[in-house]
Amino acid sequence: MALISPSEKDFITKGIEADMRNDGRSRIAYRDFTIETGIVSQASGSCRLRLSKTDVLIGVKVEIGDIISNTTSDNNNEQEQDIVNNQNESDKGRIVCSVECSPSASRDFEGKGANDINNELSQIMNRVLNGPQGGIDLKSLCIIPGAQCWIIYVDVLVLDYDGNLLDTIFLATRAALQNTRIPKTEIQDIGNGQLEFDISDDIEDAEKIKGWEDVPVTVSLNKIGQKYIVDATAMEELCTDTKIIIAVNRNGEICAMQKSLYGSLNPSLLTEMIRTAKDIGKVLIKNLDTTLEHEQVMASRANNKKFGFFI
Amino acid sequence: MEIIFNTPSAPKETENIENKQNFHIVTPGEQITSDPAFMRGHGTYTQEDVVMASVAGVVERVNKLISVKPLRTRYNAEIGDVVVGRITEVAQKRWKVDINGKQNAILLLSSVNLPGGVQRRKTELDELNMKSFFSEGDLIGAEVQAFFHDGASSLHTRNLKYGKLRNGSLVVVPPALVRRCKSHFYTLPCGVDLILGLNGYIFVSKHPDKKSEELSPEELYSNKNEEITFYQRSAIARVCNCIKALAKHYMYINDSIIIYAYEASLPYKISDLLHDDICEVIVEKAKLQIEMQQTL
Repeated sequence: MALISPSEKDFITKGIEADMRNDGRSRIAYRDFTIETGIVSQASGSCRLRLSKTDVLIGVKVEIGDIISNTTSDNNNEQEQDIVNNQNESDKGRIVCSVECSPSASRDFEGKGANDINNELSQIMNRVLNGPQGGIDLKSLCIIPGAQCWIIYVDVLVLDYDGNLLDTIFLATRAALQNTRIPKTEIQDIGNGQLEFDISDDIEDAEKIKGWEDVPVTVSLNKIGQKYIVDATAMEELCTDTKIIIAVNRNGEICAMQKSLYGSLNPSLLTEMIRTAKDIGKVLIKNLDTTLEHEQVMASRANNKKFGFFI
Repeated sequence: MEIIFNTPSAPKETENIENKQNFHIVTPGEQITSDPAFMRGHGTYTQEDVVMASVAGVVERVNKLISVKPLRTRYNAEIGDVVVGRITEVAQKRWKVDINGKQNAILLLSSVNLPGGVQRRKTELDELNMKSFFSEGDLIGAEVQAFFHDGASSLHTRNLKYGKLRNGSLVVVPPALVRRCKSHFYTLPCGVDLILGLNGYIFVSKHPDKKSEELSPEELYSNKNEEITFYQRSAIARVCNCIKALAKHYMYINDSIIIYAYEASLPYKISDLLHDDICEVIVEKAKLQIEMQQTL
């Protein structure tokens, strides 16, 4: 467990009270992001997003799998079960997320320390993304109803850590899903009600995931002292009494909420926090989408040389 | 509300500093010399009589011994070094201190000052009261006194300039950037105190109202911060951001370059100092100032 001294804690808390955080930011200011997409050639979609020192790499892979309906499943995998329980229909695909925090990222992730946080983050992602609130049109992932569908695997690797991990992960997921292409399938009827399908090899034919525009991003609000802040650094997270995670989509609709840690909240403060999260979430999505568009325009230009992680 | 998404850009063409300043920078696996007369030191290995670098850094030569000083490394303590550390464990008659080294440093109960400055052997009662001096998480300023057999360094705080740190925040930079100099304790003109730990931990705090000699015995080990005004808090934040900017551009860090960077940063808002482009402007300005001073 990372340590902090009582006087540092007092300094941070009083600074937040005075709207002058340790790095000079105001309470509702974010640090700068650095984004790259489409960097992992083996994946269907990928993104690396950095927020100061926090560094997240996401690979999305689409694979064909069986549709497991609630009644027939005898799956032992707990997380998969969790997702399956949420869907009773037999004409939907699914999204499976897993987060892995690299032990080199933080002292807290060494040994078995990362297990808890890996599980927590994976579960939040699975719960937010699987369902109507997740934005993605799960029905469009279905290939043969009751039999086969596309499964979107979202694998998150945390390379470095300096606070506000969840917001970074969700923004990167949105960017990676925007970047993902699913191959086209063609269904054939081979008689007696049997269906068969072919996967198109043509890369040009691959389609974007339907509904990626509606994938929400999270805004984590940390209550420190009597005030709350967004985009906490690792040090500020150590001073946090209560944390509220709010998932917002591009229309400013709240898609999910979670309270963590042991502190309490005033209902009036909670409404204020939700309003802030809504406003910030919309700006986050707007700016992210503009950057992604810009990146695509740049990439399509001739003699454009790409720079970044895998160069 | 301003939220910025950057995309990675082309590395900037920089002038070749190797020729200008007589540096030799190497990357792992790069050949340093094939002359068999040289001996290999830290950060190197030999392959077929060729000395190669095993780390990325600057080549240093002492007579026939060649070593590479890595840029990113853990701190290697030397006796007499001023360090800033964080207490991680309270054990039998000693504290374990994180100083960003390969192993935790040790602060013995016998190497701290008692409140009130009384000189006597430490009793069992003192041992029971250890947590009231320093407890887990506390930041301390200390000096490296000696080494144990296993290589762990032994610290001491038997001077009023060392001891518990309050009224400020910690900035962490690569230890290679902090150079040894006459003093590591500074008061900047903007009313901010600095402790440049050689281990890369830099403590930036408000200049205290009372000198450390005037503190009452209880205040010496207290966890309570003094009253800090908004102006002082902004000055601390600005200095912290300047240090981070310098570290981002791998500039060495001492008092004068921090002052120059601080002056260069004054036209900008403190939170703007987090943006990459503004960091670059400030560091360039500070660098020019230093070069001008050297040519005078």
